Formats: sequence, structure tokens, C-alpha cells
Amino acid sequence: MSKIKIGLPSKGRLKDESLAFLKSKKLEVVSSFGERNYFFNIKNNNNIEGIFLHAREIIERINDGTLDIGISGLDLLKELPDAYSENVKIYKKLNFGFANLVVAIPKDWLDVQNMADLEEVSFEFREKYGRRMRVATKYPNLTESFFLSKGVSQFRVVPSLGATESYPFTGSSELITDITSTGSTLKANNLRIVNDGIMLKSSACIFVSKKIEKNKFLNLLK
Amino acid sequence: MKQGLEKKKLKEDLSKKILSNFKKNKFNFTDLDLLIDTNLLTERSGEQFKKFTLTYKDLFGKEISLRPDLTVSTALKYIQEKKNKEEKYCYYGSAYRLDKEGDLKVFDQIGCEIINSNNNKSENILINSILEPLKKIKNLQVILGDVGLFKILIDSLELPARWKLRLVKNFSRIEYFEDMLKRLETNYDLDQKAIKLDTKRIEDLEKLDPNSIIGGRTVSEIVKRFNKKIKDPRDDYKGKKNVKIIRDFLNINTSIQKAESAILFFFSKNKLNNSSIKSYLKKISKINKEIGKKYSINFKTNFGRNTDYYSGVVFLAFTKKKSKIIELARGGEYNGLLRTLGYTKDIPAIGGAINLNELINL
Repeated sequence: MSKIKIGLPSKGRLKDESLAFLKSKKLEVVSSFGERNYFFNIKNNNNIEGIFLHAREIIERINDGTLDIGISGLDLLKELPDAYSENVKIYKKLNFGFANLVVAIPKDWLDVQNMADLEEVSFEFREKYGRRMRVATKYPNLTESFFLSKGVSQFRVVPSLGATESYPFTGSSELITDITSTGSTLKANNLRIVNDGIMLKSSACIFVSKKIEKNKFLNLLK
Repeated sequence: MKQGLEKKKLKEDLSKKILSNFKKNKFNFTDLDLLIDTNLLTERSGEQFKKFTLTYKDLFGKEISLRPDLTVSTALKYIQEKKNKEEKYCYYGSAYRLDKEGDLKVFDQIGCEIINSNNNKSENILINSILEPLKKIKNLQVILGDVGLFKILIDSLELPARWKLRLVKNFSRIEYFEDMLKRLETNYDLDQKAIKLDTKRIEDLEKLDPNSIIGGRTVSEIVKRFNKKIKDPRDDYKGKKNVKIIRDFLNINTSIQKAESAILFFFSKNKLNNSSIKSYLKKISKINKEIGKKYSINFKTNFGRNTDYYSGVVFLAFTKKKSKIIELARGGEYNGLLRTLGYTKDIPAIGGAINLNELINL
């Protein structure tokens, strides 16, 4: 029987909490090849081999079949096309990695309280400046469908790779959508969450490949 | 294979006949571009446009789309050719759209458009030209609507200006529009606590340079809209009553002969200002006089909403086959479309197209 391949986040709190979760299930991760090596094993269990990867990469690799199991964020799966959900199944929502994907605007836009205001401002903006309002985000697909569901159609997505909070103040966008757990980074950057602007409530999840959904090993992760 | 070739031949023969009919009515044949700059479409209709167009990126990252619609292509042609007088175009070609599952659907169409005409008979000429080739079809029925009437209705209601704008702008998005009516009934968008807090903060904002920019908007723009918002009628704008009027209005469904009187009666029954509606209805009355007896035409206030560029008269010709509706032709007025595609101003325009795929199957 071939070994089960697990992917874990390679850095940050998500990595630490994933390791702690596995330990609580008596699955202790050991870096047999050195601290800086990406590959790992599980103590006293030869049926598993693992790799540390970027959280986004984990879902991609489960989808293409090179990983069987992985821990990553729900937000990252939801951002991908629906076809991914056919191969990548949510096995369990975990009790860490909580964060909301939100719509945030400059805090001094006092006239905007909710998405209905944004809808109206976006029309006015287009009429005044002859272009659509720009929304900087790492989540273009979720942003598009959320905005359209709330009636905001006059916008353009600006893909962001990081420091999204700075975009409205560097002239690169007018507003943003971003993932936040406490809201403090948004606040520190003079941004405010729109009242009904929570797009998704996310947490860390165990994702499994469709082909191993019935594997007994999964019982250990319950 | 044989059947496919026969259908192709049939389609070509039919299109020749229809085009020669259009030419008799002084429409000039034009070849339309197959590809459209995607940016032009999204700037006009927003990002949702991409969901039903087949879009490619060229080597330089520029997005181009297969034409989803022949009216938009004709309007672009008028702009590209720098026309400034009346043009009567006719065309034959395919439109390409993705369905909900993402599969490409091809619609073979033959149609005509009148752009920038001062002739007050344009609507009749156009509708007649489209219906003429269909007149011998058994049980041909026509639905007529006028989306411009909705704007007049909204203008006559006691509503905050913001709500009027929002309802008119979203009239074509039927699902979202319903959601808006529910919100209007409950005054959803007013958070009194937040308003009180922000009223204090606006004083600080007013001390800033009015031209300074916050997130792409000027301070004066934010202050102006804030003040306008808090001065709008708040608790007493009769949300429920207005929503009932809107819903009742959208239920009007009558023969074209009775349309004018039914709408005037509706306005008077609801004590709405009817000064502009009377002159507006002359257009419907003219269509009734010209073609009301030739075809079986029903007038529906709720019809023609789902194409966002229609601004006035809209029509659909159909027949029924085993109780299934077969759409044979549709069209409408689009007086604002050309400006949103880059023309310098709004100009009158009307067009319509016959669905050849359905026509050859009858």
C-alpha cells in the first residue's frame, strides 16, 4: 500500500497550530531531514510522509493528486473555481485559524455604512471620474461574486500580492477586501469594515482528496 | 451530416430573403467585428459581463471577447466610423454567450438597427421590419413593454433621491431588485446609531482641505454625500406603500389597445403626478395605431428588464410549440448605450434581431 501524503502550512501561526493539533491526536511531526528541510515524518508511523508547503499550494496539490491530506484555510478553497470542490473535500473544520474575509473602506468615508451605500457611491464615482472604483484583493473571485450579490456592479478588481491595506492610500485602489482575524491591522491602516461587509467566515480545515475519503487513517484525525 | 447541411442551406436562403426585405426598407448591410475590446464591455456593464462572454488575453495582456451581442457590435461600428447622422444598419451573423454551466452557445441572428434618427416613426419602422418576415407564422404573438415608464413611475413617488437612483439603476437586475424592494419596505439601510457617531466626526472632516483625497474620493465629495444622506427623508418615506405601488405597476398586463388607458388609470388611482406620463404614452399610442391591428400584441410593464441597455420600448415576438414558448425575435430602444461605449452624448437608437436557429426549426 502506498504511503499517505500530508501537506502542512510551512510558516506562521497556522503551522504552529497545525503541529499542535496533530500532536493532540498522537501524531507527532518530526523533521528527520533537518530543520530547514521541507519534508517530515510522523513519529512511530511509517505509513505517512509529509511536506511543508504554502497554504494555497496545499489545496492545489490535493486537487492534482500529489497530496492526500492537508491543513489549510477555508477561504483559500472557496476562492478557487467550483471544480476544486469536487476533488478536495472538507473533512473537518478545525478550532483555529479563525478569520473573516471582509470589505474595508477608508475610515473617513463617513457616508458609507453598508454595501447599499457602496453600490450608490460606485455609480457616482463612475459618473464623476469616468472609471470604475477599484477593489484591491487577494480574493478576486469571492470579491466579484459578493459585490455582485450585494448589487455593486461598478467596480474593478485589482489583484494584490500583499500589504493590501496600503492600496487605498497609495492611489492603487479605492477600497479593499482582505482576510482579518482581529481587525487591528485594518484599523492601524485607517480602514474600517463595512457593516454588512463580511464575505466569508473562515477557519483552518482538514482537506482530503476525494480518493481517500474512506481511508481508516482519517479516523485518527476526528 | 445531411440534416446539418440542409439546415445551413435553409438558414442561408431565409437570411437572403429577410435581408432583401430589410434593404427594401433602406437598411444598409454591414459586416460586424467578431471581436470586441473586453474593457469597453466591462466599463459599461461591470465585471458581471465577463461571466457570459468568451474572453481571451492577447500577448500583451489585453482582453478581447467574442461578440456576445450584435446590437453592441453595431453601436461600436457607428462610433468607430465616426458617424454623426442617421444610420440604418442591417446584419447577419452569430452572437456567442456562455450559459450558466460555462458552455458556449451560438445564436445566429439577422437584424436591423436605426441609430441617431430624428424620425418619430423610427420605432414603428424598426418593429415593422422585424415582424414583417414573421407575419405568416401561425399563432405569432408579440409582447411590448417600455422600461422608460418605470423611471417615470419612480420619479412620481415620494422617495429619497438615493432610493430613486438605486431602483432605476438596478431595474434590469431582477433578483437583486426584489431584494431592494424588501429593504425599502423595512428601511434597512439606515443605522441611526452610526449616523449619530458620524455626525460628530463630520465636523473634523469639514476642517480638512475639501480637495484633499481620501481613498480616491475628495473630502468635499464625502461631506456632500453624507449631508445629503442625513437630510433625506428618513422614517417617513412610506416604504411599504411605495413598494406596493411598484409591485402593482409591474403587474400591468393588457392588450396594446388598452395600455394607455390602463396606465393613466393606475397613475390617477394612486394619486401620482401624471404630467410627464401623458406625453410619454404617445409613443405607445403610435405603435398601436400603426401595427396594433396587424399583430396580436400584449403590453406588459414588467417586460424587457433583463437587458440593461434598453431605455424605452422593448418587444418580443414568439409562438408556441407544444405549449413551449419559441422566441423568434426581440429588440428595443437603447438611447444611452452609445455614450457608455464612448460616443460623446446620448443619441436615440433602436434595434431588433430575428433568431434564425428557432425560425428554421418551425
